[in-house]
Amino acid sequence: MTTSCQGVPATGAREVYLDYAAATPMDPRVIEAMLPYLGERFWNPSAPYRRARQAKDAVEDARRRLARVIGARPDNLVLTAGATEANNLAFAAVDAQADAMVLVDAIEHESVLSCAAARPHRVMGVGSDGRLDPRALEAALSAEVGLVSVELANGEIGAIQPIRRLSQVVAAERRRRLEVGERRPLWLHVDASQAAGHLSVNVSTLGADLMTLSASKIYGPKQVGLLWASDDVTLSPLILGGGQEGGLRSGTENVAGVVAFAAALELADGLRAQESRRLRDLRNRLQRQILTACPWAWVSGPRKDARRLPGLLHLCFPLLDARRLVILLERRGVSVGTGSACAASKMRVSHVLSAIGVPDEVAAGSLRLTLGRPTTEDEVTYAAEALVAAVHDEMGRLRLSEDDMCAASRELRVAVGGRSPYA
Amino acid sequence: MRDERRRAPRRPMGDEASSAFPGALVYLGMSGGVDSALAAALLVERGYDVRAVYMRNWSRDLPGFKCRWSDDLADAERVCVTLGIGLEVWDCEAEYKATVVDYLVDAYARGYTPNPDVMCNQTIKFGSFARRAFAAGADAVATGHYARVRAGGDGHAHLLRARDEHKDQTYFLWRVDEEVLAHTLFPVGDVRDKAQVRRMCAERGLGVETKPDSDGICFVGEVGIRSFLLDALERRPGKIVEWETGRELGRHEGAFLFTVGQRRGLDLGGGPRRYVVDTDVERNVVYVTDDPDSPGLMCDELRLKDVRWISGEPPRGDALTVRCRHTGTLVPAEVEPILGREPVAAGAAAIVHFSSTQRRVAPGQSVVVYDGLRCLGGGIVSR
Repeated sequence: MTTSCQGVPATGAREVYLDYAAATPMDPRVIEAMLPYLGERFWNPSAPYRRARQAKDAVEDARRRLARVIGARPDNLVLTAGATEANNLAFAAVDAQADAMVLVDAIEHESVLSCAAARPHRVMGVGSDGRLDPRALEAALSAEVGLVSVELANGEIGAIQPIRRLSQVVAAERRRRLEVGERRPLWLHVDASQAAGHLSVNVSTLGADLMTLSASKIYGPKQVGLLWASDDVTLSPLILGGGQEGGLRSGTENVAGVVAFAAALELADGLRAQESRRLRDLRNRLQRQILTACPWAWVSGPRKDARRLPGLLHLCFPLLDARRLVILLERRGVSVGTGSACAASKMRVSHVLSAIGVPDEVAAGSLRLTLGRPTTEDEVTYAAEALVAAVHDEMGRLRLSEDDMCAASRELRVAVGGRSPYA
Repeated sequence: MRDERRRAPRRPMGDEASSAFPGALVYLGMSGGVDSALAAALLVERGYDVRAVYMRNWSRDLPGFKCRWSDDLADAERVCVTLGIGLEVWDCEAEYKATVVDYLVDAYARGYTPNPDVMCNQTIKFGSFARRAFAAGADAVATGHYARVRAGGDGHAHLLRARDEHKDQTYFLWRVDEEVLAHTLFPVGDVRDKAQVRRMCAERGLGVETKPDSDGICFVGEVGIRSFLLDALERRPGKIVEWETGRELGRHEGAFLFTVGQRRGLDLGGGPRRYVVDTDVERNVVYVTDDPDSPGLMCDELRLKDVRWISGEPPRGDALTVRCRHTGTLVPAEVEPILGREPVAAGAAAIVHFSSTQRRVAPGQSVVVYDGLRCLGGGIVSR
């Protein structure tokens, strides 16, 4: 079986990209919207001559359009170079409070976990499906907490957090502090970068005080993002200079980038309902096709469709090595991820999988398949076949039978107390 | 070593002999580069049971230091998947740090200019890696080095220069144990040249054929030895002195940063081009000259310490040549072992007498002795 590909370069006959949670191609409509600002309308928005007003107006128009989609006021948006910067800016707000503690859950993105680690912090555990229990938040919400940061949807296993219920817990604590006369403010920050293409990101519906968005996950350009902050939050700048973005984020505005961001978010908003359904159906089809051939594989993340990102499928193949599967798939023209990209390159077991109790030997064989706007049914069928073939190649090399795989899967599941929701 | 070696069959003795045993278990050290990729493919084609191992030696991320190990590992993995062989990652970081990195820093601090690759081959690749492989039941170990091993008629394993003289790496292999060499395969050593290696990789679809040659010390990388040493050792400002006159010409940041023959980095603010003749790390003085043919830069003999002869016997005969740097010219010389210390194979001293005057070699560098194609061993230039 392994000899089938020996000495034969990948044919390149077919390319299927299934890593949309890592990066999305820019939508042609988004490119079209931003192009004039790279060329003919290149001016510095702060320049004094009349023409430069066009650049300034473009930024402010984009800000208004972004604000409209998230149900916010334009002047509460800070445009940043991506979601990581926005997360950093959100955490910096808490530094004005004396001895504030920050609270995060264990499956947050590295940028949030690193921001938390740099301050007094506590990490809340999540359930085996990756969801944060509002009662866990309630228990952790002590009087010294100044900021709670929870991702709207996790980009690795697709778990959608019950943000509304979490925000109610935060609101209750705020009321308590008011009643007893405690002065410490309490904010809820929601990183919605992975969710924006699939879920509503209306700030009042979510009940958030701060929210991060990224253009690069919604078919916009990389290094463009925003932080929304409610009137109750006072931000402090991380980048000092010419005082752009109300002094909160200096540096000449990325005019083309924010124009593209607005176009991308509006598009995503318009397509959201229909596209989420389509991706969910495709994902479920992909999952069925793979599990029919490999019933011993583990699926991570919440079981219910409403609690899992629609275009995401996270699979663990016990006894197999994900990196080899990635290469075998790449030889068949299929690009997939192994958990979050940072974790993969450091060759550490993903902190997300550890947090939901996936044993290391199972996590080592985990793949993340994410579908996107260009994904077709045909591609999904092809990718499923390619993945099953890759898995069989590796089983052949390791001389593992179906029975071996079933037994290993069962044993490992028993070892973790049957915690996987698909057990 | 001895215990494990008994597990390995006696017969495979270098490339020639062992190709006769298809199915033999071979542990291959893979770097992610072109040479070890081809080595893997050739071993598989020759019917060996190949287990590839990526040795993770260095993963420290310092500001400005970019270590490519994860990219290299991905390339190694790609090759192994293509060939249908397994790849393990062995963590050699602690050992590498102790025997190669610390050795390097310590030697510089004492005014020597070491060859860390020589140390890495001795203690890591043909040391701990080989021991672990033999303990796991390997019949032989292999690497992508440009070198050859042949069974000599005298019962010894002969280390020979590679077919491609421009790429030959025996200069870095002179401290490898004969016992290990006897069970080592160098599949790339017989390939005509590097271009051919790349062609053969391309033909096999290994996907690494366009990777650039890696040279220099991997963990020092692009920042260079100077930044690396300044990170590891304290700056120690001192004098730059003209060798002939004793006149102070300028200042330096530490004599340990300089090596005999060095021209760059003196920063004497113009004037003639100057060369380092000598360094004195104790008094922290760097001596320079503007005469490229200064007697201080020349020598007729070199004293070697820490001498090792692969066969255990000092070289004989009057047809010997020596090499004082990687792929440097092979120079006729006589080798005079300094007796009186036992055992003769380790820790002994020797004097190399050149037939003609040569440029001086920095203390700490390896001098490697050859008889024809055969590498006999060598020593380290003493002060």
